[in-house]
Amino acid sequence: MIALRGLTKRYGDRVALAPLDLDVRAGEVVALVGPNGAGKSTTLRILAGIIHPSGGSAEVGGRDAVRDGVAARRRVGYLSQKLGVPQATVLGDLADLVAAARGVATQMAEDALTATGLGDRLGATLAELSGGQRQRALLALATLGEVDTLLLDEPGISLDAEGAEDVRAAIRAARARGAAVLFASHDLYDVALLADRLVVLVDARVVARGTLAELAAAAGVRWNGEPVEPPVERIYRVLVERGRGPGVLRMVQGDAA
Amino acid sequence: MTIRALLRFELATMARGRTLTAVAAGFALASLVVALAGLSAGGVVTVQGFARTSLSLLQLVVWTVPMLALLTGAVAGADTHDVEFLVALPVSRPRLLVARWLAHVVALGGALLAGLGVAGLLLAALAGTGDAARYLALVGVAALLLAATLALGLWIGVAARNRLRAVAGAALAWLLLVIGADLIAITLLAVLPAGQAGWGLSLLLLADPVDSARALGIALFQATTIAGPTEAALRRVLGGAGVWLLAAGLVAWTIAPLALAARRFARSDL
Repeated sequence: MIALRGLTKRYGDRVALAPLDLDVRAGEVVALVGPNGAGKSTTLRILAGIIHPSGGSAEVGGRDAVRDGVAARRRVGYLSQKLGVPQATVLGDLADLVAAARGVATQMAEDALTATGLGDRLGATLAELSGGQRQRALLALATLGEVDTLLLDEPGISLDAEGAEDVRAAIRAARARGAAVLFASHDLYDVALLADRLVVLVDARVVARGTLAELAAAAGVRWNGEPVEPPVERIYRVLVERGRGPGVLRMVQGDAA
Repeated sequence: MTIRALLRFELATMARGRTLTAVAAGFALASLVVALAGLSAGGVVTVQGFARTSLSLLQLVVWTVPMLALLTGAVAGADTHDVEFLVALPVSRPRLLVARWLAHVVALGGALLAGLGVAGLLLAALAGTGDAARYLALVGVAALLLAATLALGLWIGVAARNRLRAVAGAALAWLLLVIGADLIAITLLAVLPAGQAGWGLSLLLLADPVDSARALGIALFQATTIAGPTEAALRRVLGGAGVWLLAAGLVAWTIAPLALAARRFARSDL
């Protein structure tokens, strides 16, 4: 579904992405991990047609993502780190546009937004939505229609625990229907939970790739193969769940002071 | 994706802002002031007074429309670098840009029409509808000038990449088109021998959309009485096909910057 061969990006003398070869098959989830400026977003942005490569080739669904970009993007869903739409845009208008672009009925886009709890915000501008609501809306629209390639750049950014779970569900659903998913994330718990393979980028080049078990072995880290939710996140999730239940949550000692 | 869906999206976003109402109200107010001043300047409310007012409105149009269109177009052009989500949709970048230009032409043209329409109705009520064609010519010239300077502004904005640089570029372009070209014309007249100045002025008229629109307006008005020697000079310089040449020039001033803006946008990294 995604095939990169010697994909390169340079800005003058600065190398933003050293030649990268990568394949992501149908129904596979691959995570790009690495520090800021490693080339994760650059890779996704080339595939989404946002920036042009300096060399190499990028194919999506058998189409050249650069020379035949419009056709390649017909079945690509992309979620950027940036908003990428004017803040004054009304959510319902955006849903209408994305539906037209994907060749589906506007009602389908509105239903997708309703499913994420935004059905009553269709008349709101993006500026009037919270950061999390915006991210959920754009994710719902990015995955609209017959998308068979999903490109997500830090999809969990600015999301609360529930929103993060929505992202995980969207990635799982995309994998289940046979889509190729390539996502960049600093949230290593999500990466461990969702990715079939990882590509580790440092200073614009690949330093390691493989399954988590393979990478753990390569790094000499003993690991039982189960992703472990960080304790603080587990505590927070449990408290939020209890707080939503009947009765008053018991405050810990000293909190009233 | 059809350009209609993009146009609907762009128009919906523009329509929710207050800019269009402000533009329509501004033009209506300015046009009314000019219309009333034009009528009273004629001494009595006659057809001749209507002609004078149309010429005054033309002067208002050739100054304010380019300013508004260049600035608006430049901001819209600069903002195209901030639409990653839209660019990632299966739609070509030139199509996105043309839709944006078209939406601005429709929206600002509508606001302009509303503003000039109020003044037109007043003129019709006071001076009759005898010279309505002359007024329609004014609206047509304004629309051509709007389309051309919006395209130019869009190109400036796409090249500038941010709002501040885009607005500065648009302001400079306005100064060059409105004042700079006149200064060059004066210099040409002073330097060139009388027999050769005509060609230089003709080229200058075509090279500046603002002067093209002004000349086109005067020529279309056939305002021999009001424009007097100006119209006579224009007729001599432009010849019989002058009107068509000026109109074609304005269309070229629309297509060329739009094509350049689309090419630049298609090749740029967001």
